Amino acid sequence: MVVTGRAGALAAVGVVFVALLMPRWAGVGLVVAVVVLVCLVDILLAGSPRRLQLSREGDTAVRLGEQAVVTLLVANPRRRVKGLLRDAWPPSAGVQDPPHQLDLPTGERRRLTTHLVPTRRGDRQAYRVTVRSIGPLGFAGRQGSHNVPWTVRALPPFKSRKHLPSRLARLRELDGRTALLVRGQGTEFDSLRDYVPGDDVRSIDWRATARRGNVVLRTWRPERDRQVAIVIDSGRMSAGRVGDAPRLDHAMDAALLLAALATRAGDRVSLLACDSEVRADVRRPAPEDVLPSFVNALANVDAELVQTDFRVVVSQVLERLGQRSLVVLLTGLDPAVIEESLLPVIGPLLRRHVVVLASVADPRLTEMEESHADLIEIYGAASAARTRLDRERVTAVLTRAGVTVVDENPDHIAPALADTYLALKKAGRL
Amino acid sequence: MSATTAVGRSGAESWRVLRLPLLITCVVVLGVLVVMIATAARTSGPFSPDSAEPTGAKALASLLENHGVNVVGTEELRDAVGAGSDRTLLVAPGGSLSRSDWQRIADARWSHVVLLRPSARALDVLAPGVQDVSLGLPKGSRAPDCDLKAAVQSGTATVSGTSYSAPDSAQACYGDGINHTVIRLETEGRIVDVIGSPRSFTNAELATDGNAALALNLLGTHLELVWYVPQFESSNTADDDSDGGKPLIPPDVRYVAWALAFAVFVVALWRGRRLGPVVAERLPVIVHAAETTEGRARLYRRSRARDRAAAALRESAIGKLHKAHGIPRRAEPAAVVTTVAARTGRDPAMLYELLYGWPPVDDAALISLSQELDLLTQEVRRP
Repeated sequence: MVVTGRAGALAAVGVVFVALLMPRWAGVGLVVAVVVLVCLVDILLAGSPRRLQLSREGDTAVRLGEQAVVTLLVANPRRRVKGLLRDAWPPSAGVQDPPHQLDLPTGERRRLTTHLVPTRRGDRQAYRVTVRSIGPLGFAGRQGSHNVPWTVRALPPFKSRKHLPSRLARLRELDGRTALLVRGQGTEFDSLRDYVPGDDVRSIDWRATARRGNVVLRTWRPERDRQVAIVIDSGRMSAGRVGDAPRLDHAMDAALLLAALATRAGDRVSLLACDSEVRADVRRPAPEDVLPSFVNALANVDAELVQTDFRVVVSQVLERLGQRSLVVLLTGLDPAVIEESLLPVIGPLLRRHVVVLASVADPRLTEMEESHADLIEIYGAASAARTRLDRERVTAVLTRAGVTVVDENPDHIAPALADTYLALKKAGRL
Repeated sequence: MSATTAVGRSGAESWRVLRLPLLITCVVVLGVLVVMIATAARTSGPFSPDSAEPTGAKALASLLENHGVNVVGTEELRDAVGAGSDRTLLVAPGGSLSRSDWQRIADARWSHVVLLRPSARALDVLAPGVQDVSLGLPKGSRAPDCDLKAAVQSGTATVSGTSYSAPDSAQACYGDGINHTVIRLETEGRIVDVIGSPRSFTNAELATDGNAALALNLLGTHLELVWYVPQFESSNTADDDSDGGKPLIPPDVRYVAWALAFAVFVVALWRGRRLGPVVAERLPVIVHAAETTEGRARLYRRSRARDRAAAALRESAIGKLHKAHGIPRRAEPAAVVTTVAARTGRDPAMLYELLYGWPPVDDAALISLSQELDLLTQEVRRP
């Protein structure tokens, strides 16, 4: 049951009426009776919001920052319904539209479109559809809600995909598949082919040349079908905000770029998001399925405020990798955590696999370290310098232990990790 | 499937669910109301016919009813100024009746009026000649000592309280010979009894001596008795004998105010109704990654840890110099100083003091140290 501004205006006119014409109890009673009666009649004549039939169709997934369109089908088998319709979603679903105006005569259907621009990763569930049906007089009406479930999944944005073409070009160079006449780099023997003027003479296979009578070239390519395990730390280390997003989101971005690149390079990628327990787990999907499955698995992973248990991480990784593989660990570079939790347990992993530790650095620290305007800032600079020195120290310890460390600002972490991968591939360390 | 999407109960369903509780509530409320009305005392306070307190007079009222007198207790003045012939009016003590109220009572043509300890105003209007002598009569059993038939038949009674001087035309009883507590006056075809000791007729004292008999004889003259217990606010000051004056607020304004209140209520309903509930959602915790570093900076500042701050700044600067000049990581301080001095042309002793010296002694020293280190590293970076 709702009343409109008209009912308020009618009551206000009633005040004037009482003041000028009937300053008696009877006048007050008359005004109240008229307003109540008009509203009751209007409510009785209004179409019932409960009788509407609603259903939905539209997008079920959208990249964070892009727009999803969800359509609401409203059918009215009964009396005309005129008024407002609100399609309610949680605030972070980012509903763009104001409540819809609805005018639905008997037996007709309408298609109402809701535009969503989610502001956070994860599943966003439609809450309720509330319909306010105003009676023909426009004084009052009825209101009712419907549960029309729908879920829109906001996927990680994968902003770093702009870096993919350049890295793929370098991969092709590495592969020897470019139009350039350079020797394919890598350690795995690929094929023999005839010499073309311009080829690198160092690649000539003299033995084959002697057998065939004409000059034959030996081509190489990097190893293929290696395993890459990407481990994302979803514990408290990833909860801290760097710029406008948590470390976790930057880590996901880097993971997606690496996964895309490694898949194109012919490697098998698997994904693990883990804190004290496993939050997302994708094991060696088909190459064409890598990005969709990763993005879906990561959509609902949020940083938990618990300390990551690296014993779980190590045992999980060891369990799923048979041959020598690349393990990429996306976590924070907190000296205490690394020294006390990671280093004691990482031994088995280092013995069998190549380990890369990637961490998102905070540009705020650099900013702090470079400002010396007053005493407060100098203490800030000293503290930031101490943090950086600690990070450098722990980086050195990790490097000595055989871990490749990538510590870059959020804008650079994804390409830097991709470059590290390419460098390892080029060096034949996989 | 769409038929089931509606949230909450429909009107018919709500009615079906709510009708039984509503019915029970209505029955209970009605029952309580009926019981309350049936048992409600119409009057209360001292000398009320419905009060069973020691100061009340329920005993007297029920005694009268047993003898066939219909007692009507009231606190309303309009019951005391109604048609009065062949009926008795009893006015209990207390209240704040004005002279005009008493005049209206006098005009009501009661055939018998009994005044219990009346005020001077009441005596003026209803019993001219009788005067309050302001002499309390000590408590005691007294003989009637007069010709009043009702008193003579009752015999002795225990009286106390106010006594009055009576004119010669009146019959005065139960006194000390000069002043009396029970006085009967017959004026203008009306019998007026002035009784100065209402306490004798309360529940507490009715049973002593001949009090009950006296009360019955005095009050039982007619079959109808209106028992009026005056209240303090029963008198209407607006039409009192005083000037009164015009009220400050015109009476019409309150009707307009009520209409306005209703309009405000309707507008509040209009503006206050939401289009569906607010949607809640769990939000992630926001912690800035630099929080711990900033916290440590505040700790340094609060504890004035100049030594630690200087050490961090020096170590950081030395690290940068190492990188810039290609000095090996584990070089001795002296080696660092000579290399840097050679490159920048600074005095090696001062450079040593800057990079490896004592911690600064005060804030100014820390500031200058930080600025010099900054200059040094920038100098190194520039060429």
